[in-house]
Amino acid sequence: MGNKQTIFTDEQLDAYQDCTFFTRKEILRLHGRYHELAPHLVPMDYTNEPDCKVPLALIVNMPELKENPFRNRIVESFSEDGMGNLSFNEFVDMFSVLSEMAPRELKAIYAFKIYDFNVDNYLCKEDLEKTLNRLTKEELTPEEVQLVCEKAIEEADLDGDSKLSFADFENMITRAPDFLSTFHIRI
Amino acid sequence: MASEPWRQGAREVYGYTEGNGYPGDQQSLRLRRVSSQVSNQNYPQFDWNPPPAEKDEEGNRGQPRDLRGSPLPMALKRAVRQVQQMQVPVVSSRESWKRKKTKSLHKLKDNARGWLSFVTLWSKSLQKIGGNFGGGVQSYFLFLRFLVVLNFVSFLLIAGFVLIPSIVFRSVGDSLVNSTGPKECMEYDPNPQGLVVFYNYFLNLLSGTGFMEYSYLFYGYYNNTTVEDSNFSYNIPLAYLFTAVFYFTFCLICIIARMGTAARVVMVTGGSAVGNYSMIVFTSWDYGCLGDRATKLKQKNIHYRLQVDLEEESIKKRAAALTLGQKIVLYALRVSMCFVSFGLIIAAFYGIFVATDFSQKNSGEQGILGLIFEYLPSIVITAGNFLVPLLCDQIALIERYAPSTTVIVALLRAVFLRLVSLGVLLFTLWSQITCVGETTVKDCTLCQYNYKVYPCWETRVGQEMYKLTLFDLLINIVVLILVEFPRRMVVDNWSSKLAQWVGRQEFVVPANVLGLVYGQTVVWTGALFCPLLPLINTIKFVLLFYFKKITLFYNCRPALKTFRSTTSTFFFLVVLLFGWSLATVVMIYSLSEIRPSMGCGPFRFFPSMWSIVPKSFYNLSEITQEFLFFIGSQAFSIPLFALSCVVMCYFVTLASVYGKSVALLRAQLKLEGRDKQFLVKQIEELSRQHQILKHTAGAHD
Repeated sequence: MGNKQTIFTDEQLDAYQDCTFFTRKEILRLHGRYHELAPHLVPMDYTNEPDCKVPLALIVNMPELKENPFRNRIVESFSEDGMGNLSFNEFVDMFSVLSEMAPRELKAIYAFKIYDFNVDNYLCKEDLEKTLNRLTKEELTPEEVQLVCEKAIEEADLDGDSKLSFADFENMITRAPDFLSTFHIRI
Repeated sequence: MASEPWRQGAREVYGYTEGNGYPGDQQSLRLRRVSSQVSNQNYPQFDWNPPPAEKDEEGNRGQPRDLRGSPLPMALKRAVRQVQQMQVPVVSSRESWKRKKTKSLHKLKDNARGWLSFVTLWSKSLQKIGGNFGGGVQSYFLFLRFLVVLNFVSFLLIAGFVLIPSIVFRSVGDSLVNSTGPKECMEYDPNPQGLVVFYNYFLNLLSGTGFMEYSYLFYGYYNNTTVEDSNFSYNIPLAYLFTAVFYFTFCLICIIARMGTAARVVMVTGGSAVGNYSMIVFTSWDYGCLGDRATKLKQKNIHYRLQVDLEEESIKKRAAALTLGQKIVLYALRVSMCFVSFGLIIAAFYGIFVATDFSQKNSGEQGILGLIFEYLPSIVITAGNFLVPLLCDQIALIERYAPSTTVIVALLRAVFLRLVSLGVLLFTLWSQITCVGETTVKDCTLCQYNYKVYPCWETRVGQEMYKLTLFDLLINIVVLILVEFPRRMVVDNWSSKLAQWVGRQEFVVPANVLGLVYGQTVVWTGALFCPLLPLINTIKFVLLFYFKKITLFYNCRPALKTFRSTTSTFFFLVVLLFGWSLATVVMIYSLSEIRPSMGCGPFRFFPSMWSIVPKSFYNLSEITQEFLFFIGSQAFSIPLFALSCVVMCYFVTLASVYGKSVALLRAQLKLEGRDKQFLVKQIEELSRQHQILKHTAGAHD
């Protein structure tokens, strides 16, 4: 609209627009949300690219993430240091991948990272068990958990190494009709 | 621990390749994945060298798009973008103009998308519903919104071509054909005589009689006016007919277009039976879930789904283990229960037939009793649609199908019941109007329809459809107020075991969707006889949206058994298509077989509604007539038919080839995995042997 914002330079906004799926207005709104998380830490003026990171504990308190059982893993997957402290770049990146316009391939890459709890680039049985327990709030019996994990690996594992590589995961995702609509956070 | 030597120290490398000659390749990013090991190297490295210079015209056009979709962290993406911007490519002026145009087109598309989401009806409400109740319930409301838009656009169509010209030309035009025919057939006087009690107006509003009968609402008010000017002519009967036909075609196109998007997803995923568990584990969590209550519910939901799947597995195992005797008993039980449910449905049909018969015979009653008689068919249909599925659910418990089969069977039975009960109502009406098709019966000889009881039969049919629509809305509101709100108040405030067992209302998606399909089928059937019915239906569906939303948020808990949102959209549209075909059959029959009333309407002096088309045809110019004759002749249609067969064969072949190549690639993937394992074993074997050799060689020394 009419008022000239002073948070970003035009160059920066163009860069953000080209690198994410957000429009200028949405990027400014995201900055507002980022600032709200830690008003003392996050400067309002980003024109000279300040280097500040909001810690994990504050980010997972956002209403969109608060109840998500995978909130820690989501934030860790997008952080550069792997500890979950996000700079604004990474914050925007996270919500861009989780927006509804991100393509399936991109979402699959990050979904794989999220579910890979021990970060070894494979979804092994322990990763699946942890995922399942978080999904069902530990209401399944241990035998049922074992059974479901075995069946899941059996169905998706194509190269027979009893764990899921990214190729197996992506192949399974292409056959899931709901993936695009469920792997989606509105902000 | 088996080490994988060739993976050590590897890094992920991403190479950009231009989409040279691959028009469908929008993401021209190709990943060459070699896995990395170090845990804090959480993101891939980027290959800073520009790709080998390939001289192609598309050039960097695709790259801004690719940057968004590339899995690099943001800082890297911005750096890449800077590098790209610094690489000013040397292009011709025409090329740079093209690039500027595509860039501005992309910006325009983004702006349009933002504007569209602002203008789209109810988008915020739908977001809230989806976040709190899941995709299945949201798909019901999306379907409802689609029907609202469809009805509103249809109303604009009808208003533009039939209603407004009728209003404008009512006094101007002149009748097409002079009155010929028996005088008794042309007697039609819908205006009430004498003093009318004031509450009669209210009764007339509800049943479409009295002051509402002779109005733009029903067929009988329209005249067969034609306006002939020096350079403008408008033929109202022809417009009426063509608008009705076009309305049906338009609805069909909308439904099929919407089915196309849903079907594509279904085709890609190739059926949901395979890969259940892995998909549930990885794709069932809805990241858009808001709020503590919704999250807990989602978790219970997933738990329930997994339990159901595990139970289905054990049922299948048990079913396979049945002895022959037990199998025979089970199948005999299923067949007999099938007959029982069929018998229940037939009983419902008979009830509707009797009620319609009775209602039509006693249509002269006044007052409240008269109103009840008028609404008798609607009441019986609604009661049947409520009771029979309940009983069928109980029968399904005896049949002991697998849970997913039970849902499908129940749905099919309900669809059959609803649509065919409407068909029975229409059949009863038809049998009374045309004396069961025998025009030699006493009442029908004179005008080929029962002129004594139905001086204007189209208006009567329109009135029936109008009553059905209104009654549907009234029943929904009444159930809301008298059943759902009290239920919630009882369950919330009275803490007894009975109240807890009954529990809060569940929003059952399939039953609600069937209600929508039924309502829309009634509108389609009645649109020819009651042109303003789409407008009434738009208002009805808008009201229904708000009422259902209120009851959803205040009275309901989300269903434990969810409906898959993507395949269910496709299913809703298929059922809607069934309704559409029923309405089309009715329309085609009324257009061509039944003689229009002689006392009212735009077609009053034609032997059938369709006969106006041949008659007007000869008023066209010579050239147009010859052209149309040519299109209809064999010289044109047979080559056209042959050509479309060839095109269809081509597409079918293409589809089968794609399917085969997908299967081939999958098999190849499996094979490569096995090759990898074999090679790993070989390497281990060889290295072990090498170690042994070294050891023994060392020992000898």
